[in-house]
Amino acid sequence: MAAKEKLICVGCPMGCLVTLTISSNKEVAGITDNKCKQGEKYVLEEYQNPVRTLTATVLTRGSLQPLLSVKTARPIPKTKSLPGAIALAGLKVRPPVKAGDVVISNLAGTGVDVVATGNLLS
Amino acid sequence: MSELKTEVLIIGGGVLGTAVARELSRYKVDATLIEKEVDFGWGSTKANMCIVCQGADHQEFSKEYHPSPLVWQSMPLMEPMCQELEAPFNRVGELALFFNNSGKEKYEKMMARAESRGITTHQLLDRDSLRRLEPNITREATGALYDPGIAVTDPVRLTIALAENARQNGVNVITGTEVQDIKASAGGFEVKTSQGNISCEFVVNAAGMAVDKVAALVNADDFVVFPIRGYVAILDKKVSDLVSHEVHASPEAPGESNIITPTVYGNLFIGTPMKLARRGDDATNREMAEVALRNARRLIPDISEKDIINSFAGFLMFRNWELGWHECIVNTSSTVPRFVNVSIGFPGVSAAPATAREVVKLLSREGLKLRENPGFNPYRKAITDFTNLTDEEKRKLIASDSRYGHVVCRCETVTEGEIVEAIKQGAATLDGVKFRTRAGMGRCQSGFCSSRVTGILARELGIPEEEITKKGGESRQLLYKSKELIGGRE
Amino acid sequence: MKLQDVDVAVIGGGPAGIAAAIKARETGAQNVVILERAEKMGGLLYQCIHNGFGLFYFNEDLTGPEYAHRFVEKAMDTGVKGLPETMVTGISPERQITAVSKGEGYLSFRPASIVLAMGCREKSRGALGIPGTRPAGIFTAGTAQRFVNVEGFIPGKRIVILGSGDIGMIMARRLTLEGAEVAAVVEMLPYIGGLIRNEVQCLHDFDIPLLLEHTITRIHGEQRIEAVTVARVDDSKRPIAGTERRIECDTLLLSAGLIPENELSLMAGVELDAATGGPTVDETRQTSISGIFAGGNVVHVHDLVDNVSWESELAGESAARSAMGGKGAQGKIKLKAGRNIRYIVPQTISGQNKVTLYMRVNDMEEGVRLKIGNIMSKGLRVVKPSEMLKVELAPEQLEKLKEGTSEIIVDCERRERK
Repeated sequence: MAAKEKLICVGCPMGCLVTLTISSNKEVAGITDNKCKQGEKYVLEEYQNPVRTLTATVLTRGSLQPLLSVKTARPIPKTKSLPGAIALAGLKVRPPVKAGDVVISNLAGTGVDVVATGNLLS
Repeated sequence: MSELKTEVLIIGGGVLGTAVARELSRYKVDATLIEKEVDFGWGSTKANMCIVCQGADHQEFSKEYHPSPLVWQSMPLMEPMCQELEAPFNRVGELALFFNNSGKEKYEKMMARAESRGITTHQLLDRDSLRRLEPNITREATGALYDPGIAVTDPVRLTIALAENARQNGVNVITGTEVQDIKASAGGFEVKTSQGNISCEFVVNAAGMAVDKVAALVNADDFVVFPIRGYVAILDKKVSDLVSHEVHASPEAPGESNIITPTVYGNLFIGTPMKLARRGDDATNREMAEVALRNARRLIPDISEKDIINSFAGFLMFRNWELGWHECIVNTSSTVPRFVNVSIGFPGVSAAPATAREVVKLLSREGLKLRENPGFNPYRKAITDFTNLTDEEKRKLIASDSRYGHVVCRCETVTEGEIVEAIKQGAATLDGVKFRTRAGMGRCQSGFCSSRVTGILARELGIPEEEITKKGGESRQLLYKSKELIGGRE
Repeated sequence: MKLQDVDVAVIGGGPAGIAAAIKARETGAQNVVILERAEKMGGLLYQCIHNGFGLFYFNEDLTGPEYAHRFVEKAMDTGVKGLPETMVTGISPERQITAVSKGEGYLSFRPASIVLAMGCREKSRGALGIPGTRPAGIFTAGTAQRFVNVEGFIPGKRIVILGSGDIGMIMARRLTLEGAEVAAVVEMLPYIGGLIRNEVQCLHDFDIPLLLEHTITRIHGEQRIEAVTVARVDDSKRPIAGTERRIECDTLLLSAGLIPENELSLMAGVELDAATGGPTVDETRQTSISGIFAGGNVVHVHDLVDNVSWESELAGESAARSAMGGKGAQGKIKLKAGRNIRYIVPQTISGQNKVTLYMRVNDMEEGVRLKIGNIMSKGLRVVKPSEMLKVELAPEQLEKLKEGTSEIIVDCERRERK
């Protein structure tokens, strides 16, 4: 028995509500209701491996600047966003930090580093 | 304060209470003023159209309770008082529009009334002269009664100035103190407050919207006041040249009135008819806003909804709605000696100077000894108003203190230097800074400056930013620190 | 550099101002200065810590601080002078600028040309006219963003957001990731105000309720906000009686529209377009006053910073040419908004040079054809007010213009169904 899954395509302002037909072995058996080819590619990826770049702040110590902005160096699985944010909440960084510096490795078991997106001065 | 003894206790730090305090400070009287809010003028004083009227043409409904004499006696006192206190005062003049002959006749009667009271400056304008004076006024208007004496002020700044000047001259002025109970005793009164007990010989009850409740605590007369609520919308300064006089159309019923007025800062106010409201309900609603806009367009058709930057509900307190507009209470209680009730339904700000004198007279009649205070200084310095300095003055001021070169509120051009002055003057909240400096009162309504003002308040008061409130009490702006909600802070 | 010798003065050091200043230097203007009111250059980008910037300009997915940093570095390398904490208090039609600054004191000077790059501001509660009491805890989304991402505070733990603009949706995600609960995003229109990407990645990813065709009819709470009443709206956007319900919250964020910041433009006497809220500009981004140019959100509110940078570079280049004695665009053909077109920027073109038109529609429509007079026609699957349209007109297309054309009407027509 095939299941149906619906995903909104973010490829263009149209925002098609695309239907995926999922076979019993969790394979995508069909894609419908998309109005273009790019939409097909997007929903396939979004269904099989939805990923997001997590952006957040971390607390600082020894700086007048209370926060440092950070991001994951690569997109991480979307389900890891909240665990990632919780892992970052416990972190405190000291200056100097430059944009691009790694502030923590292997965030929440994703194998992805978190890097600074700004500078932290003392 | 846990126990305090004072000769005269003034309850209420609105325009009337503070005016009484300042008036008393002309004499060697041990006086204390208590205000329940954390700042002055935050009750009905702040919630009005900021107009100073003459009362010269008002009809008298009831002689006993009518404030008109207090209003017209106040007018000559108001301008010098504002000058002494460096409070804003701007004589804009008033145009009462009429649309037909019967309207005109009504205003002719009003003019005659004013003349009978010795005020001869009123003029009847025809359509052409009206349009020359105010080209944006509706073409429907056939003329107007022009009263050049009408002025505008900033009631909150005036109240702050009165409180400060009273304090300079020896009155004990305390905020954040609410009356909970009053007991009359042989020698006077025992007043229980949220901050401790006060014993006093005389009480001036100027508690504004709570004037009847405070009186009832000690059974000082039996009266009820009704809150009447209106709506005021504030227009962007960029349309300030739409009208330069206070303009209104003939009221069709007590409290029914369309009104547009300039303010001392250049914004226009548009106001709605006043309606009975629940006490303390200062919420605005959609209908009020729609009526205000519709009515304002009847007077100035070019007024646009897009130019509204903020709005608030205005309050008046009436002792008897049936009697109409102009009713007041300025008398010693008939049941409790040495207890004076003061409440002016409308116009409280305009009547304040003469009312304060009247209250002092009543206290004297009750036995308060009035010996002149030789040290009384009527002058009080306002904080710097950077925008209105000349270029040369600005240059010098920034050179001497760079904080005046740091503009914190971009819409109203308020500098860090002025904000620091306001905090030194007693502002301890965002609203306190706002009412003293206008930081946050402009078109962006504090979007840009609120985080900066919060920082300056925290720094100057030596407390963490998350303890800064909008208006005291439980009105903290920032409830948590970063990561506090996801377990990042111990 | 003495201020008396300034060739191009740029008002505002956000993405628009920096891009304009760099381009002005690159075009050959000697002395280029940016006057910025905030503590540092970069404008609001430093508080926009999320990614999605630069996808078109740099072909990279950058965060706001990273995007800003690239421009700030380049400005320093090209010799642009930045004056932070400097507030421009006036501009005269003769281009006399007055400003105050903590570091520089009181300033008054007359540059050869000016670029207006003041950006835009958010609509406040007052401007939106939301009824109710006046408690603490009501912020525009951008103000909350500054507190959360820069200053280190979380305004509250149960949030309602009015308006589904991009900043509002992005703040819904940020606050969720900071441990707060977003009780609802309330949108008056039948569709979101921001980008689809943000609806999916900020709201759906975190199961944040989106109430379309709803509005807030009342704010509750005396000291701190305690709740809002929301109601469904009818076709004319009026609340429907009987659909009200109360949502408890301790914080309300507003993300319901941006207004170009043109108070200085008005002081200078620059003509504004009622539809954009910004100056009317020609294809070089010159305003109605010679020597005064404008770029970025001060002209019209963009959805992508990449376009802000490009448009402002054009303003900076033109300002530099003007400062160096060059002539502006010759001939003025008006672009007139026709069916379902809210505005077109620039408002006039010369008809001689290739030009990019930026447009917004009034209403969402599917299956439309965008027609620019008789010179161009393009089918579009969907148009939305929240998504800006961008069309390039090439010289060969402009050649189709008849001699003496004074006006071109732009229409968004319904496409004939086959």
